Amino acid sequence: MIHLTIAVPALIGFALLLMAMARHQQDWLRRKLPLRHSRLLRRCGLGALALAFAAAVLGFGWAYGAVYWFGWLSLTAVLVLTAQTNRERILRLISGKIV
Amino acid sequence: MAWLHTWAGLVPGWVLYIVFVFGTAAFFQHEIDAWMRPELPVGTQVSPRALAAADTLLLQRGAGAESWRVSLPEARGGSGLTVSWRMAGEGRRGGKEVTLDPQSGRELAVRETRGGFFLYRMHFDLHYMSVSWARYLVSVAALAMLVAILSGVVTHKKIFADFFQIRFGKGQRSWLDAHNATGVLALPFHVMITYTGLVTLLFTLMPWAITANFPTREEFYEATFPRPEKREASGTPAATVPLVRLIDTAQRKWQGAQPGSISIDHPGDAAATAQVYAERTDWSSGRRDPLYLGAAQGNLLPVPLRSKGGARLTQEVMVDLHTAWFAGYPLRWLYFLSGLGGTAMAATGLALWCVKRRTKLPDPARPHFGFRLVERLNIGFIAGAPAGIAVYFLANRLLPTALPDRSEWEVDSLFIAWGAIFAWTLARPAKRAWVESLSAAAVLFALVPLVNAATTSRGLAVSLWHGDWVFAGFELTLAALAAGFAYTAWKVLRHQPKAASARRQRARTEAPA
Repeated sequence: MIHLTIAVPALIGFALLLMAMARHQQDWLRRKLPLRHSRLLRRCGLGALALAFAAAVLGFGWAYGAVYWFGWLSLTAVLVLTAQTNRERILRLISGKIV
Repeated sequence: MAWLHTWAGLVPGWVLYIVFVFGTAAFFQHEIDAWMRPELPVGTQVSPRALAAADTLLLQRGAGAESWRVSLPEARGGSGLTVSWRMAGEGRRGGKEVTLDPQSGRELAVRETRGGFFLYRMHFDLHYMSVSWARYLVSVAALAMLVAILSGVVTHKKIFADFFQIRFGKGQRSWLDAHNATGVLALPFHVMITYTGLVTLLFTLMPWAITANFPTREEFYEATFPRPEKREASGTPAATVPLVRLIDTAQRKWQGAQPGSISIDHPGDAAATAQVYAERTDWSSGRRDPLYLGAAQGNLLPVPLRSKGGARLTQEVMVDLHTAWFAGYPLRWLYFLSGLGGTAMAATGLALWCVKRRTKLPDPARPHFGFRLVERLNIGFIAGAPAGIAVYFLANRLLPTALPDRSEWEVDSLFIAWGAIFAWTLARPAKRAWVESLSAAAVLFALVPLVNAATTSRGLAVSLWHGDWVFAGFELTLAALAAGFAYTAWKVLRHQPKAASARRQRARTEAPA
């Protein structure tokens, strides 16, 4: 359970950081968001990563928590990267369902 | 400074790759031990009956020995209740060893193997060479690794802009993306494991702090790990207290923590001394110092207080972070996956060196010596070393149990297979060599669960059915690795190298020969 409270905010955090980058907004939304929104997304993303750290430390203590946090950061970043590399497939899946 | 990253990564790159491959496997060394000793029962709880059997065995067969040693089963598996004794005059490697079932206490005939411990030792001691030279080599490689990581981050600032970027099917660009991704996503792990790895080799790299202050290294260890006054044998015979009591005393002292091993000097003498080491499974209370007990009386012996300086404590924490002995299974898997990332980083980095230079070769059909050397070493190491490990596992199941020096033959099989793949790939064109060696690795890994099912009664289906997760996890991981190698081989086979750009081709033809 504690693992989920670390992994989910970390995953959301990286997803938000991904969407804060102009190049990836183009990939997913086919348009660029205003700078103000990008900045907000970046701040929320970093905030979510910090939240994951807080959850790790509260759940496992400073020593174990820090190590767990880094481990989950790497793993969730890989997941977001996997989604990003398969975005065409995912987008087709989503739009297919809508249509 | 990009050249620094290139050359600090390439020159020791093959050693680093080996360190990463074997080191990553070593995170699961006890689970590998368990798989390589299938005669051991699944449970690791020690019963009082088994301890009593150990007592009897030592009294009968170890009577008159200079020392006894009892290793309690490692909680993660891979070792039974091991009892050994050494007669006076026998060297460190001498003596007899017997493995007991931790539940029933009956003697087990376990096949002779070096198990996961060999993979662990290989990752810093290498093999077929002296330990000190191997450690110098690994130290220098690890220093270069640290340089490569830091210069990689500094010089390739784009890695953070490209954080989420892998473009497939774009030749060099894809390789660079893959190298970036495996490097950056687990960057905290790579920095930590390289730096703390250097810390584990501290006294190899910087022995002078000791030589300047102590006449010998032994005196340094005596000063840092204080023991009670050495007790010589008194000559008065006295019965040694049962193991159960020694363990009970230690557990009370440690608030319930289990001992991992017990050694007894001068057993059967009134001045016998027992040294009890704590089992290491959890870090929450830090490291525990060993206890000393009078083995005939069962009382705790006073030990001079150990000076715990900040430097010492820092070093211990760093070494612990590196070895991850404190990690439970979720964290252990995170370590293992990060280690795989590091292995992939080393492999893609090495491959990238060739990819980047191939299009620039004056004649791609006949590359110069340096290029061919790197390319051949890449194939031989990147595909050969993991294939060798698969053969090491296969040899464990296929070599006859009565073979003399069996455990050495297992290790030799690893290097024979690796050498054979290396030699084979030298005789083949580069692309065929990649495809064939990667396919060989895939087949060898896939064979391990099959051969296990054929030679033992603990095949994958059986262990899944019984919920034996050490066996099932090991074989499923190997199957996943086999799939990974097969996929890579298929990708290489399908890959059509793009012709050099028109501009570059023109430049080539126009350039004076």
